[in-house]
Amino acid sequence: MAAQSSDAAVELRPTPGRGALRSRMDRLLVLVVLLAIWVALSATLGSYWVGSPWGVVTRLGIDLWSGIWHALAFLAGTGWTESALGLMTRPTNLASGGEILIHASYTLYEAVAGFLIGAIPAAALPFLLRRLPIVTAIIDPFMVGGYGAPKLALAPLFILWFGIGIESKIALVAITVFFIVYFSALAGIRALDAKLVQMAQVAGASERAVARHIVFPGAVPYIFTGFRIAMPYSIGGAVIAELISANRGLGYLIQLGAMNFDTTGVFVALVAVTCIVFVGNWSVDIVERWLLRWRPPADARAELKS
Amino acid sequence: MTAEPLLEVRDLGKRFAARAGRDAPAWVIQGLSFAVSDGEFLTIIGPSGSGKTTLLNMIAQIDTASSGTVRFQSEAAPINDAKSLNPGLSCKIGYVTQEDNLLPWRTTLQNVLFPLRVQGRLNDKTRAHAETLIKAVGLAGFESHYPHELSGGMRKRASLIRTLVYDPPVILMDEPFGALDAQTRVQLQEDLLRLWELGRKTIIFVTHDIAEAIALGDRTLVLSRAPAQVAGEHVITIARPRDIRGIMGHPEFGMLYQSIRAQVQ
Amino acid sequence: MSTTESALDLAAEASPIKWRQYAVTIGRIALALALLAAWKIGADRAGPIYVADPVKVAQRIVEDLSSGALLRHIYVTLRLAGIGFAIGCFFGVALPFVLRRLPRLTNAIEPYIMASVGVPKYALVPLFILWVGIDDAPKLWLVGLLVFYPVFIAVFAGIRTVDRRLINMARVAGAGEATISREVVWNSLLPFFFASLKIALPRAISATIIGEFLVGNEGLGYLIENSRQNFDTTGVFVGIVVSTAIVLLINAILVWLDRRHSAWRPTDRDMQL
Repeated sequence: MAAQSSDAAVELRPTPGRGALRSRMDRLLVLVVLLAIWVALSATLGSYWVGSPWGVVTRLGIDLWSGIWHALAFLAGTGWTESALGLMTRPTNLASGGEILIHASYTLYEAVAGFLIGAIPAAALPFLLRRLPIVTAIIDPFMVGGYGAPKLALAPLFILWFGIGIESKIALVAITVFFIVYFSALAGIRALDAKLVQMAQVAGASERAVARHIVFPGAVPYIFTGFRIAMPYSIGGAVIAELISANRGLGYLIQLGAMNFDTTGVFVALVAVTCIVFVGNWSVDIVERWLLRWRPPADARAELKS
Repeated sequence: MTAEPLLEVRDLGKRFAARAGRDAPAWVIQGLSFAVSDGEFLTIIGPSGSGKTTLLNMIAQIDTASSGTVRFQSEAAPINDAKSLNPGLSCKIGYVTQEDNLLPWRTTLQNVLFPLRVQGRLNDKTRAHAETLIKAVGLAGFESHYPHELSGGMRKRASLIRTLVYDPPVILMDEPFGALDAQTRVQLQEDLLRLWELGRKTIIFVTHDIAEAIALGDRTLVLSRAPAQVAGEHVITIARPRDIRGIMGHPEFGMLYQSIRAQVQ
Repeated sequence: MSTTESALDLAAEASPIKWRQYAVTIGRIALALALLAAWKIGADRAGPIYVADPVKVAQRIVEDLSSGALLRHIYVTLRLAGIGFAIGCFFGVALPFVLRRLPRLTNAIEPYIMASVGVPKYALVPLFILWVGIDDAPKLWLVGLLVFYPVFIAVFAGIRTVDRRLINMARVAGAGEATISREVVWNSLLPFFFASLKIALPRAISATIIGEFLVGNEGLGYLIENSRQNFDTTGVFVGIVVSTAIVLLINAILVWLDRRHSAWRPTDRDMQL
């Protein structure tokens, strides 16, 4: 029976110093092992099953590269960039020109537009209803129902209504994001520090000033938590809708690859989707950190609460 | 009482590993030695941060020692190696910790019976014994309550009788009454002495309260500041049974208090 | 002041809370009726292809229920969701217990597990179809994964925060490793586990439905998507209404169960996962 020094929680993180280096080496080793497994599987089982790692790398690389060149061409004028592009792509014989980027931009557009259309009203609603708690109470069961209901099941309905284009995806993302952000914003309003409001009123602030200077900044962390939770749903929603019915976007590419038994293509699109999710997470983090510069770091926050 | 000490601590030392940013690792306890006889009530006084809890942790074998030995019934306990620790020394050492550590998802009765259950000693006789203890500390009627429904004092009492219920020969107590209000504390001190008189267990009781140490113990050890050692030993000459409420009026109390106080600096 | 006003004032003073409760309930009923009315009006205005008539939807539900066709779809979906849920739960609970004994391995793979959370699992369905075919298997993989992640993360976090002092107390009292796992670790992480179930079970059902959009020829998802492809809007609405009702019902049952088994908890810890 091994016992350690009496801390309150089981320590699974490496201690700083020698332990951190070993932990990094361990993680690097795992990455190498995973890649090695992928290459080995690809070599033995064939590219139908796991795609070809090299194929994924080259296709992504070429797509990105030619995508950049096309962007340059668009900005700087066609002439010399086109011939340079031809020079580079001739050996690989691939006619694709930044295809991934185009499809990725569709998916991204759907996700972002849907996110904004859903999140902004959702964040605003609790503010508008702040002085009308009865209305909030009335709509609460409907909101809870909307939150719990499977919004993604509406995808075919939206496709029926808006067709195969981006509108159906935007609508799906918007409704998915709406309920998530609504409840986060509601929590932010409810967590209001009454003492701060009193202080402001004593200092002579009007209702609107209180809302702007006290209520809103206090609710922002909660709203951003809602954003962070909703963000993967927005990309996921766009991709799912594209899987069902689309002619553009990364979900479409995945489906296309699968239908053509082009597993490498499927992997390429999956890598692109994952990248977008990471970029999305990262952007929300950056914006939040900037907006919340005034907050003490997490541990100090915990002390303040007690 | 046998001549051979029941529990002996020799040259005990504990050093915590250096944290990032600090220099050398600090010795919390160093060269600490004392012995406890069978049936003795030993109190240990020390200022806060003198490593009292660490000392008890090592005796109870929850923590390893950096140096020195702990001998129980003349056998050395394996406390230098984390892997061979035997917490509670196979149920021979009970430990009433500072926090009550009651299982939040179990009722009072289930918590009190917990050691009996895991040791496989749950039967009618032991159940009856548990009920007696519950009544003795005034928790009758609260058997089906959950810990969060009990007051701090009640939880302390429950955690106390949880250790008493399985009758370990040695019981360690780490400032068990420290967080309670004065009234409850006196009540529990009386309860504890009454229960101890019935069974005459060996108790090592750690406190920072000099009056409490004098009132309860046969003998008191004073610990120095870090690195902690035994700074002094005082035999409590006040006869038993003790009157807790009036202890301060006892003629011997004043002298003992002064001499102990002088050492606790 | 008119007599009505003064009577209302008196009543309001007497029990303002009661009045508010009545107002809220009336408001909710009114809103529900308004939504239904809007649906009906929408159906009349927009035409049967875009918005199915609520009356027809209700009729179709009754028809399909009595003919057994709807029950068949429901059964297929729930059965698959249940199996996938069980699989995902099992691994989600078992894996943290295994990893608990292997801290070095856990630390080494943790960033990759967290990174894999970012991959939208639905996007993997075509890949699953390539790998395991077009029957139940790809849907089971989808549901299993979607259930696994929240359960795993919750149980993993729960295990990390088990109070070491309780474990020490149990050891001193003579408990063996197995008892400690069962009594202390498991009970400590139950709140985390239940919180994750509240997310995972409805998700299992939605995942099954969406899986059925993409593959299969039975189930609520198939009903919805197939109706869409046939421009049978009523069928689409039937599928959506029934799916939503089932998921909301399951949610309600879970909330009720949770409340019943939380007697020992001092606060209502609703975790944000």
